[in-house]
Amino acid sequence: MSDLTQTTAVPKRDRSARAENWARAFYRFRQSWLSLIGLAIVVTLIVLAVIAPWIVPHPDHVAGTTNTGFRFQPPSAAAWFGTNELGQDVFSLVLVGARVSLFSAMVVIALAIVIGTLVGAIAGYFGGWIDEILMRFTDLLLTIPSLILAMAVAAALGTGVWNMIIAITVTWWPAYARLVRGEVLVKKQEQFVVASVALGAGWPRILGLHILPNIVSPLVVKASLDMGFAILTVASLGFVGIGVKPPTPEWGTLLSGARAYMPDYWWTAVAPGTAIFLAVLAFNLLGDGLRDVLDPKARR
Amino acid sequence: MLFYFIRRVAMLVPMLLGLSLLLFVVARLLPGDPVGLAAGPNATPELIERLRAEFGLDQSLPMQYWTYLTGLVQGDWGQSVFTRRPVFEDLMTYLPATLELVIAALVIAIVLGIPLGLLTAVYRNGVLDYVTRTVALGGIAMPRFFLGLLLQLGFAAWLGWLPLAGRFPLIGFPPEHVTGFYTVDAVLSGDWEGLRLALAHLAMPAFAMSLSPLATIMRMMRASTIEVLQQDYVLTERALGLSSRLILFKYVLKNAMTSTLTIIGLYVSWLLGGTVLVETVFDWPGLGLYATQAILTQDFMPVIGVTMVIAMIYLVTMLLVDLLYGVFNPKVRYS
Repeated sequence: MSDLTQTTAVPKRDRSARAENWARAFYRFRQSWLSLIGLAIVVTLIVLAVIAPWIVPHPDHVAGTTNTGFRFQPPSAAAWFGTNELGQDVFSLVLVGARVSLFSAMVVIALAIVIGTLVGAIAGYFGGWIDEILMRFTDLLLTIPSLILAMAVAAALGTGVWNMIIAITVTWWPAYARLVRGEVLVKKQEQFVVASVALGAGWPRILGLHILPNIVSPLVVKASLDMGFAILTVASLGFVGIGVKPPTPEWGTLLSGARAYMPDYWWTAVAPGTAIFLAVLAFNLLGDGLRDVLDPKARR
Repeated sequence: MLFYFIRRVAMLVPMLLGLSLLLFVVARLLPGDPVGLAAGPNATPELIERLRAEFGLDQSLPMQYWTYLTGLVQGDWGQSVFTRRPVFEDLMTYLPATLELVIAALVIAIVLGIPLGLLTAVYRNGVLDYVTRTVALGGIAMPRFFLGLLLQLGFAAWLGWLPLAGRFPLIGFPPEHVTGFYTVDAVLSGDWEGLRLALAHLAMPAFAMSLSPLATIMRMMRASTIEVLQQDYVLTERALGLSSRLILFKYVLKNAMTSTLTIIGLYVSWLLGGTVLVETVFDWPGLGLYATQAILTQDFMPVIGVTMVIAMIYLVTMLLVDLLYGVFNPKVRYS
């Protein structure tokens, strides 16, 4: 009898509260089939992008070889998505094009999180004039139309994947800085932070060990919702002719090239366009799912 | 209220000052040589030097900014290095085309999005709800430029119902210039054939731009309506025997509108900045095409000008949104 009271009175905890929250979130995530579809497409896309150079039917076309005898072949068993104006296999180009899009989008988000967290955490934690200066600057950047700013920076830096990544990141971090600042302001008031201040912990320790680990979930939610938009932005830059230049295949650039041959040779445009659509859709579904499980306010 | 309004307008001034400084510094710090590009590959160093002097680029950076700033308030927004045309005049030529497109897209998004959001919230989990939610998911993910291309393929190339691109037939005379909005000008001058042509050209680009805001507004409206419908006061109104229609339109709609309003405000900036893509697809002679041309030739002044105009419109829109809050939610106090 006394045994029983003991086990019920002291709940067994082999995991921390934070780990339990993640486990519960994972359970809820599996309940939503739309999120699972999103996750499945995302995983497939990433795997395909990684192994693309080795599995595409025409790796030589990706490297820039042309085959003008087979220009504008409609989709067939030999060329699933048809061939383009240079006789290149569109399927190979689109598949390898996934690499640039996914890679740059991920790097943009990662850089934006690093810069945004740094700026936002410092502004939120220290407050006062540091906060004032950093946030006024952030707000100014947020008023500038991001696509035009990214286009201008990318054009000035010159073509290339990294220049494009830098250009998009310039427009992307302010949103993260705003988010992190808000979260840090809230967490700063919490008991455990006040306690560690009272215990004499220094600010790097408080920020790094106590505050930041507790604001990971809103960051994850925003990052996953942003992935789709980042892919879209990369493709947009390619489409207006700023960004990655051929022969490196990139979805936006492929679509922009196909525009000239549009009504007659529609397949050259439909394949890369559908790829962009699918990738953005998949990441949005995944992001929606993550938001529903990680953000208690959004749950219904 | 009036005091709040004056204070908010006054706050725009430092914002715009900061913005002009930021844009100016960024534009000058970026690598790139607009004069060299404009002068062409065969230009002699002397010619380039003379051009730099002509555009004031040989002066110190603070001096250049001061010249720009004093010009800004007088309506002299600098000169394009490439075309040598004054930026302000160009902006006034292209702005109406872009605004017409953005307003048309917003009207489509609002007129369809709000009722659909309301309907799907009321008939939750019905057939209409599932269909519109699926379309909305796709609508947000659909790149505007790809949707534009598909519309061109379907309605212009295959069906032949709508013109492929442009703002007006090249051989036709656009309506007499009053506002620069072809649709409005056509109505004002009673030119019904012109109105028909202007609308036919406007339809596809406006729809291509409207799909994403339409989907977002609808989702937002649906979510906030569901939230409001679960409030205690709605239950009270039901208990008092008020008709569903009265509850929905008089009490729920107003309360659900506030969060949707913010989204609409944010979309104004998104649409203005994103016209670049749709204008490229449809050869729409607006700010986006103008900006793209300037960016490709690294012509700073037009780019700064376009950005300033869009940022101004954005700031004013957000101000209007804040003021409209009070209309929908009298609890909001302006202090």
